[in-house]
Amino acid sequence: MQTIIKFLKTIFLVDLLKGMWLTLKYTPRPAFTFQYPAERRPTAPRFRGVLRLQVEPGTGAQTCIVCDQCAKACPDDLIALGGHREPGQKIKILDYFDFNLSRCSFCGLCAEVCPTKPIKALIMSEDYELGSYSRDTQILRVDQMYDGVAIEQYTH
Amino acid sequence: MGLIDHRFEDNFITTSIDRVLNWARESSIWPMGFGLACCAIEMMAASASRYDIARFGAEVFRASPRQSDLMIVAGTVTKKMAPVLRRLYDQMPEPKWVISMGSCSNAGGPFPTYSVLQGVDKVVPVDVYVSGCPPRPEALLYGLMRLQDKIRKEGTVLRKERMIMSGDTEPTLIG
Repeated sequence: MQTIIKFLKTIFLVDLLKGMWLTLKYTPRPAFTFQYPAERRPTAPRFRGVLRLQVEPGTGAQTCIVCDQCAKACPDDLIALGGHREPGQKIKILDYFDFNLSRCSFCGLCAEVCPTKPIKALIMSEDYELGSYSRDTQILRVDQMYDGVAIEQYTH
Repeated sequence: MGLIDHRFEDNFITTSIDRVLNWARESSIWPMGFGLACCAIEMMAASASRYDIARFGAEVFRASPRQSDLMIVAGTVTKKMAPVLRRLYDQMPEPKWVISMGSCSNAGGPFPTYSVLQGVDKVVPVDVYVSGCPPRPEALLYGLMRLQDKIRKEGTVLRKERMIMSGDTEPTLIG
């Protein structure tokens, strides 16, 4: 009996059809893949991307008060910033803000201690496309901290 | 291609050897599976079906350096591992490229200690540094596309030297 069943299965290609049916079942479904350069997957709300300085919306005024808290909080000493006082102005003017991206472990301690309100001067942004050809370009200067790291757009 | 374009029948395509070779190289970069730490998880995610590094022709993770073009150094390189890494790099056939993935292999990351190599560029020449801790799979794909840009600008027949000037973001032509 067993032999006959096995023989009939072989004749009617049951195993082959089973496999083909599985393939066919998955064929009409939409593709699982994210077409990355064309579509960008939304990040989680608490996602920590590259560090970025914020300006006051509308006026574009500087929000950083050069309190040096972030530089002290950084466990790897990656942030160096400095400023000077202008006569007649209340807040310090930010002169330089050097952020060494190469060692950064994106822990977010620097953004957490930033005391300015209501707009945080230092935030972890949603940008994660970070690729560079040399070690020098991984040290972000103050203008890159405002505008973000230049991202080459590959969408077409 | 300039003077000889449209001089032949329809079935002819004229191009330069450099362009053909670079096209072939950039569109089938076979990486070596070189996962050292947690970045390797993201590298695996990039090669799985959600992100699918096969869209860039780089899905064939080889177990042997003799068959690979690209070494993705994914993770912390300890000083014990460094000679092994260099040997594997030497065993790869030319042309070969290196992507340094993550903060640890870029600069040592959060381990400024005696046992960790402070940047994989101390032992092998790195083409693209991908920052992140660990970088998202998208970030690795972005780094791969930056590498493809670099390969596209390489000269094979003309042997023009191209290098990254200090502070520049793009390869420039010298000589």
